[in-house]
Amino acid sequence: MKRYFGYLFLMLGLATSTARAQAVNRETYLREFERRASFVTSIYDTMQAPGYAQIAVRYAYRHDIAQADSMFIALLEAPRGDMFWMIPVIGAYLHGKDKMSPATAATVRHAWKTYAPYRGDTENHWCMYYSALFLAAEQWPNLPASEWYNGKSSHENLQDAKGYLIHWMKITTTIGQGEFDSPDYFPEYVIPMILISQYAQDPDMKLRGQMMADYLFADFAAEHLDGQYIGGFSRIYQPAVYEPLLSGASAFAYLYFGTGKPTNSGWAVLPALSDYRLPDIIYRIAVDRSMSYVEKERKRVRNVIRYGKEMNPPVYKYSYITKDYGLGSLQGGILQPIQQHTWGVRYTYGRPYTTIFGLHPYWSGLELGMFFPEEVKTLIADVVASKGTYNNPDKWTSSSPYERTFQYKNTLIVLYDIAPGTTTEHIDGFFPRNLQERIVDPSGWILCKAGETYVGWYPLQEYEWKEEPGERGRPPSVGSQLDNERIKETGCWRLRSHQLQNGYVVEVRSKDEVGSFDQFCAQLRTHIPQSSLKPGNVSVQYRTLGGDTMAFTFPENRTLNGRTIDLSETKLFDGPYLHAEVGSEKLTITYKNERRILDFKSVKITQ
Amino acid sequence: MKATLLLLVLVLSCRLGTTEALAQHSTVYASVVSTKVFVVGGANAETGLFYQHSSDDTTWEHTGANNIRAFGVAVFTPSRGQVICIASGNGIHRTTDAGKSWKITTGWKITEALWVTIDPKDPAIIFCATPYGVYRTTDGGAGWEEKSRGLKAKFTSSIVIDHANSKILYCSTEDGVYRSDDGADMWKRTGLSVGGVRIVAQHPKDASILFAGTDDFGIYRTRNGGKYWEKCEAGLDQSTFYTITFDPNNPQTMYAGGYVTGVYKSIDGGESWRRVNEGLTTLNVHSIAVDPTNSNRVYAGTMWGGIYRSDDGGATWHHAGLSGSQVWRIIVQPF
Repeated sequence: MKRYFGYLFLMLGLATSTARAQAVNRETYLREFERRASFVTSIYDTMQAPGYAQIAVRYAYRHDIAQADSMFIALLEAPRGDMFWMIPVIGAYLHGKDKMSPATAATVRHAWKTYAPYRGDTENHWCMYYSALFLAAEQWPNLPASEWYNGKSSHENLQDAKGYLIHWMKITTTIGQGEFDSPDYFPEYVIPMILISQYAQDPDMKLRGQMMADYLFADFAAEHLDGQYIGGFSRIYQPAVYEPLLSGASAFAYLYFGTGKPTNSGWAVLPALSDYRLPDIIYRIAVDRSMSYVEKERKRVRNVIRYGKEMNPPVYKYSYITKDYGLGSLQGGILQPIQQHTWGVRYTYGRPYTTIFGLHPYWSGLELGMFFPEEVKTLIADVVASKGTYNNPDKWTSSSPYERTFQYKNTLIVLYDIAPGTTTEHIDGFFPRNLQERIVDPSGWILCKAGETYVGWYPLQEYEWKEEPGERGRPPSVGSQLDNERIKETGCWRLRSHQLQNGYVVEVRSKDEVGSFDQFCAQLRTHIPQSSLKPGNVSVQYRTLGGDTMAFTFPENRTLNGRTIDLSETKLFDGPYLHAEVGSEKLTITYKNERRILDFKSVKITQ
Repeated sequence: MKATLLLLVLVLSCRLGTTEALAQHSTVYASVVSTKVFVVGGANAETGLFYQHSSDDTTWEHTGANNIRAFGVAVFTPSRGQVICIASGNGIHRTTDAGKSWKITTGWKITEALWVTIDPKDPAIIFCATPYGVYRTTDGGAGWEEKSRGLKAKFTSSIVIDHANSKILYCSTEDGVYRSDDGADMWKRTGLSVGGVRIVAQHPKDASILFAGTDDFGIYRTRNGGKYWEKCEAGLDQSTFYTITFDPNNPQTMYAGGYVTGVYKSIDGGESWRRVNEGLTTLNVHSIAVDPTNSNRVYAGTMWGGIYRSDDGGATWHHAGLSGSQVWRIIVQPF
């Protein structure tokens, strides 16, 4: 019966998600949020396999408590998962501490004495680790050092955890997030903040948790399209890079914005059970795509521990977002190891593949040595053991020191000056097979149509095409059966070019902007880039469809209509909805005549 | 005061144990970073600190937290194994009761600690090398201070406390070998400025002689406390060295290892080297240690190959456990 209701919720969810979300009033939003939250939790409500999400739901809904207790005790017989254990365990405990048996409570407490989680080596690890430790130390105050896995007292743990979290909030709100805008790691930040906003006893931290959750959601709301994160990202896994709705962030877009597709992600359970609610102003930004806009942001590179002059150099992000598509880019270079997505266009048409992007597939011990402390000579083997695509020349995520971008509105130039002998000596472009059109035009443009979004790609060097099948054998997720009916083709056409001095120009427009696809093609045929492609002198000059002249010389010389672009002037947030100065610790969120200010210096929200 | 009392107790216990410790046995400690694949949050095999009570043992026991990626280990020798520190991804762990209880003495600022060294005269003074600089505590870990002043590159991977003068320290960095003459308050680069120095090791008798292993440039030696360095060439046909160690009973005998090197041995104080790899099936060697009670017994900690042991001064090797492990450091303590 419960399963039946689960699918009922699913169908209701799909009814809203297949249409583009329209803003609704607050009461309706809250009601629909509850419905979506119920759908998320309903799957875990009846699931018999033990899991922390299943436990949390049972405690939160006050049913099957004995089963939740026995699941909890069984799982804690052999804890594992480090901070990915800490967050769900403390989350489940907080939902059940007044309902669970004394024996269960004792088992949970005992686990925090005997299981020593690894602290991790990156920002999302530390955010989860210290958020969970903070909440746990508050729950069990005044315990001596002997009662904790790390030999520190409750007070010491509380201070240590709080110290890190405040540091992280400060650095994020002054020079930007390190693992910024990660479709796959968004939940790892937002879940801890939601838990702190709900359960912290320290009022300062409780408010900070709420503010950081708002901050992260506001960042996402301004840069998503139908549940898909837009633009360049610090970290994303295959296959979410070409199937965007698979990412963790999309599950949160469904839950909080009502966009994308229903999710059964276990990561969404604790937020679905929480009392955190998205501020109305962020929700409205998330669902309003009536106006096209530019969003410029400044983030920071993950800690550079070797081979760099600066520990956290700036990342400059530029996105252009419309109701039909979003084109976004980072400036290029090595900004994150392994999983960087430097640029992409994503659009609302078609599923599962809704994106076109390009990259230089690169790997090296030096790149890894910049960010990881292990031995440079063996780091590649170390990374490949867990991230098998890292040294694959056909991979679809990569940073490259030989790649730079220049974007203005919906036009993008990408240039490469690749050193001979490096990994690899080619660049790739991803063109999904479910495009309606992919025309190789005599003018040199590759002209693509995806619903009402048109993409033109002008390669500056010769290239070849390779047709590649989609991934097979992946079990269908909830909601995917309906999607599958719409999927005619998966897989892609891979554009590969072997010239070391290389590049391309990308123009994206929608039907609303240029009319028909034929009109788009006709216009592009009269806009041919002029380039010089010699080692050490890679440049292009191009007059955009919008009439602007872009000149770009690799690596950093960008001019627009004769004016030099200085990326260092980029603010932390600079768009129609979000504004923050570098160093300010303050984010101003604006929508029409509403405003919400998150001031982390004074720890205050002004509405 | 507390530190002084502890020192007194430890020194006394050391003296009490000296007679029976002589030539009795050695305890072997091995810090393990990973075993096979390590994925944060995954079902990883046990990492951390392993030990053998006696070098005749064939199995390894584990102590402390079992999932911490242990890079370094240090034992306060006079304590007979009571005071041990581990440098790990989680910071600096310390026990004062031979592993019955452990405490992470560092806070959130110290992460991915790669090396730990205890002052041989005062167990309350501890140094650690990290990718973010050098840190020091003078109260057994109650408080840590960053001590990176003068370092042009903060990535540090090993620290040596001069056995003749504990105010003098050396550390290996991404910018060469640095020296401090005031207990790490200020560092100055020595005459070795090649990038990517991975290890610095001091001659156990002559404090002015040090060796440095580098990521790309082989091994260097100084005979004057770091003023001038010369490259060791004879017999070395590889360039990446992570470990250099002396036979404490005969410092003319040395061992070195690194990336695809296997084990190199010198019997003339580093003038010339030859490979001694018979039986060693994993050639990425990260740590070598000689048993002070038996110079023929040598341990090699490898990357993903566990530990190998030689009972004939490196002539032949056999596997000695911790299969699949990255063994970052091995130390052998005579008790």
